[in-house]
Amino acid sequence: MLSLDFLAGFTIFLLALIMVVSMVPGLLAGLQSSGIDYDAVAYRTGVILVEDPGWPVNPPWEQYDRDHKDEIQRMGLAVSKDTPNILLSTKVERFFENASTEDPFFTEDDYHNKVIFGDYPYSYNISLSSGNDLWQTGDPLPPGYGYIRRVVKIKEPSVAVINESFKDDYTIPNPSDPKWNSTARNFTVRLDFGHLLNSTVSPAYRIDPRIEPVNVTITDFEDYLNETYYDNATLKNVTFQKAEPDSLPVPLRWLSYSEEEPDLYTLHLNGVSEVSHNLTPNEPVNSSISLVLKPAFMAFMGPNSILDIRFNFEDDPPQTNITGIHHYDYNMTNVTCTDLKTGVLEVAIW
Amino acid sequence: MVNDTGQLYTMEGVAAGLIMLLTAYIVISTTSIYTTGDTHIPDMQLEQLGSDVLAMMDTPDKERGENQLVGFIKNDQGDDLRDRFLDNCKMRAGDADADLRAQVYLSYRTSDSVNTIPLSPADESFTRRENTVRVTRWVQLPSGSYSHIPNIETSRPHAVLVEVLLWRA
Repeated sequence: MLSLDFLAGFTIFLLALIMVVSMVPGLLAGLQSSGIDYDAVAYRTGVILVEDPGWPVNPPWEQYDRDHKDEIQRMGLAVSKDTPNILLSTKVERFFENASTEDPFFTEDDYHNKVIFGDYPYSYNISLSSGNDLWQTGDPLPPGYGYIRRVVKIKEPSVAVINESFKDDYTIPNPSDPKWNSTARNFTVRLDFGHLLNSTVSPAYRIDPRIEPVNVTITDFEDYLNETYYDNATLKNVTFQKAEPDSLPVPLRWLSYSEEEPDLYTLHLNGVSEVSHNLTPNEPVNSSISLVLKPAFMAFMGPNSILDIRFNFEDDPPQTNITGIHHYDYNMTNVTCTDLKTGVLEVAIW
Repeated sequence: MVNDTGQLYTMEGVAAGLIMLLTAYIVISTTSIYTTGDTHIPDMQLEQLGSDVLAMMDTPDKERGENQLVGFIKNDQGDDLRDRFLDNCKMRAGDADADLRAQVYLSYRTSDSVNTIPLSPADESFTRRENTVRVTRWVQLPSGSYSHIPNIETSRPHAVLVEVLLWRA
């Protein structure tokens, strides 16, 4: 009878033991989900990058310099919240700026706090490739990581190329007329913000100088010279006038015309990209003028402002007969809007 | 002579049987680590990828530019649609993700029913047992001639559903 009691007791003990042991995997279930968590973090990071323009938006986060980058709360690359998967090239360039160098614009902490989020110090590798271009930041990939891949399109800035095809439109037809006896010649490029920011144009295709550079390039300048006698003309200065719908145009007085301000604009003459100029170059021009106005330049422009960029030439006697107003608008003849470029953004988290 | 030896053997047998059954239960319940909760993650990644690609193919590269998705459907280029779709899906920073397959279908309303037709030729490797994901996008076709789409209303713009089955080979 002793063995019968022992068997019954031992069986009950084993049953209890088995029940306890069977609960252990349930206790460990939370630990098994770490791999899943990486995928979730990668997905969340991908969504922020691809579907969100970031915060703040006015001025946009990509315009903050190193001294103020701590004010950035979230880094998203989308053009706007209404255009998921359409990335803005200026945001992309700032996000990956010097990322592979020893002096990157954004540090690991910045990426953790402004795009990956979470208390855990995740390692990451974020890359964006489009055609032959590749932007990348983060560490080399280990075996086993959370991953998401998003297919995107990248919006690049527009450019107004004023070449010899505009010669008939922008050349004084009868320079001997007394009204042209001045030594000055000027040529204007006009940006009408009310027209450019028209809400009927999707943000994916909109020319918005407040978030993208404005690029004005006058090429074939030799065709605008009075070629019979001269091989160059002197660009005295570049001036700006801002007008509102109910007021007269006023010059931009806050702008320094004597010192270069690369955060606001760059000016290159005759195709020499190594040498930049201030807004009063007083230099002979024989082939090209390239002016790029950065988004920070437009900080004081309202939704209905009109900005005139005026190129002023002065020689005695005049060596160019360029004149007129070129509209920076959606006319494809006036402004070249670059096609959206397909790319792929990959986020790996571990 | 009658004693309790037979009862003892019966009790031992019952106890051993219970122990074996419970052991088997524990083994089975603790080794099924890959749960249905995990399988949806690769599916979600693939579904997101396919959805992105359809959206981008439905986005012209410039204002009033050509819509790739509409162009392929309009010109009866289902094969090209699938190839372009897969090309976009396979893009990566390093080597292309080569083992993706896809099948494209088109659904549309006729005067009295809803038709679904394959837009791309059948994939020979498709056995219908693959773990596929389904991504869709509504596309607006302009009015015009669509002889390759039976019974579709062509006198006015028409919304059609592009459906792609996507799987890893």
